[in-house]
Amino acid sequence: MDIRIEDQPPFKVVRLSGDVDLHSSPKAREAILACLKQKSPLLVELSAVSYMDSSGVASLVEGYQTAKKLGLEFGLVAVAPAAMNVLKLARLDKVFPIHASFAARLPAT
Amino acid sequence: MNSADPAIDVRNLVTHYGTRKILDDISFQARQGEIMVIMGGSGSGKSTLLRHLLGLHNPTSGCIRLLGKDITQLDADAMYDLRKNMGVAFQGGALFNSMTVGENVELPLREHTALDGNTIRIMSRMKLEVVNLAGFEDLMPAELSGGMIKRAALARAIVMDPRLLFFDEPSAGLDPVVSAELDELILTLRDAMNMTIVVVTHELESAFKIADRITVLDQGRILMSDTVAAVRASDNQRIRSLLDRTPRNEAMDPDEYMERLTREIF
Amino acid sequence: MLPSRRACRRLDPVLAFVAQVGQRSLQSLREVGYHAALLAEAFYWLLLGRWRRQPVRLRAVFKEAIGVGVNAIPIVALASFATGMMLAIQGIYTLRTFGAEGQVVLGISLSVTREFAPLITGIFVAGRSGSAIAARIGTMQISQEIDALRVIGINPVRYLVAPLLAAMLLTLPALTVLSDLVALFGGALYCAGELSLPMGVFFDRTFEVLIVQDVLHGVLKSVIFAVIVTLIGAANGFNVSAGAEGVGRATTRAVVLGCIGIILADMVFTFLTSR
Repeated sequence: MDIRIEDQPPFKVVRLSGDVDLHSSPKAREAILACLKQKSPLLVELSAVSYMDSSGVASLVEGYQTAKKLGLEFGLVAVAPAAMNVLKLARLDKVFPIHASFAARLPAT
Repeated sequence: MNSADPAIDVRNLVTHYGTRKILDDISFQARQGEIMVIMGGSGSGKSTLLRHLLGLHNPTSGCIRLLGKDITQLDADAMYDLRKNMGVAFQGGALFNSMTVGENVELPLREHTALDGNTIRIMSRMKLEVVNLAGFEDLMPAELSGGMIKRAALARAIVMDPRLLFFDEPSAGLDPVVSAELDELILTLRDAMNMTIVVVTHELESAFKIADRITVLDQGRILMSDTVAAVRASDNQRIRSLLDRTPRNEAMDPDEYMERLTREIF
Repeated sequence: MLPSRRACRRLDPVLAFVAQVGQRSLQSLREVGYHAALLAEAFYWLLLGRWRRQPVRLRAVFKEAIGVGVNAIPIVALASFATGMMLAIQGIYTLRTFGAEGQVVLGISLSVTREFAPLITGIFVAGRSGSAIAARIGTMQISQEIDALRVIGINPVRYLVAPLLAAMLLTLPALTVLSDLVALFGGALYCAGELSLPMGVFFDRTFEVLIVQDVLHGVLKSVIFAVIVTLIGAANGFNVSAGAEGVGRATTRAVVLGCIGIILADMVFTFLTSR
């Protein structure tokens, strides 16, 4: 798994790619919670995720709940099918704010 | 492992209990993402076959490859790693009675991973959501009904997102509605996670509904291992009698019969 | 292969008897072997589990220690108190014939520390915990919980037996020392009443006659008893196969064999170390 953190004002963006599994998801969780600690609204980009297990989804859930508590926006962007299936299994596709692309969420410039 | 390899590959499996032969020359394969139903009456050897697939017994001969690894040859460490990719829901649930439902579901994660406690709790609650047991995590297994125990056992079996899921008699002892729900759940799991699922059952209706392929066992031998359509169309007498629920009426060897009745007397 | 029991009956009765004795001995030998293997495996996990990614968890050890040790304190204390007093009564009664009541302190302190404290502690723990271990593991065996542990990748001996063994090895010696003290207190109390021997003097004399080896003798026995109770309880639990009735049989067997095991081991140990 690879994590990249970018600034797309006003958002911070966490880009996850590759396999988000039992070994790598703690790093994703840390990155997400660290960004939220800086009081920044957060988008998690998942287009290049080849596999995501429920530990990855659990990290997203924890991130979303933390963001809600802090009053910050949290969203998923371009969710790859591999991750979407797992979200759907737990009916979380109806819970997370999911955006098809950055364009769909970012303010037009 | 090559993705074209079967997820489960059993070759020439022979097993004994004491001196009695239980399974005789069993061979079958299941691909990744396939639901394989093992069917047979009681005494057909299907439970024994399952126990061997789970690596709980050592066979007399033959090999069992799971995800490309022959479990009859694996050392303890390699088997330990393989078990992270295997989930098992036992017939009676086999939940640990001294733990709550939630602790039961969390146990594999706590034993196998170094994940954060929050992640573990969220993962196990997600799986309880999947099996429609949300909010039951603080109950003890003794407080659950039969159907709920099976669902909790299923939640524990899939909490590690295994690639192989084994399910022993999902519908035994359940009313038709609940067992239909479980069948539905098995199909959903396969579609979402691309799991290879082995279901052992004697329920025809359930078997035909969920199976991609069916392996029919009878007296320790495989009668056929084929698609649902092929099994339905089979004209093998034993399979027909299983399908039509007629009692078996096998040919009798009079000498052998007399020998059985009078053994150690004459 | 041995002839089946049914086949034996048809043979000459004497021969049948011999065959049966042989079969029984073979079975017992197999059982002893099983216990030895179980002990080796439990120690293996206790010592090396950490390196095999299956550590024996300290929390589990503590939980068991409370179950087998702390919760046994009241009953062991009561029994020890009564035993101490009983020894004083009998001692004074016996020694009075020689007019040597004063020597009763020696008799009480030696027999308590070397024999009665470890024996009573062992027997009570065998009764309380040996049966509980067999019942718990036996129930888990028939409800497939043991299988469930194995398929999850948790070694049942590591998970169930190793913490128990550690807890027993920790608490049984401690209980024995406690039993020493309470029994001596019981003896002192009776002597204070009957011989007007002040308690302080009783304990002073006790510590004069006792040497470390006497206490150690008792504590060492309790270590052996700890192993016996744990192994017999666990082995009977794992070997349950015949449903709820089997669990009942296993618990009874665990208590009976546990107590007998303790008494025989006590005899052998005392024979080997006290001459």
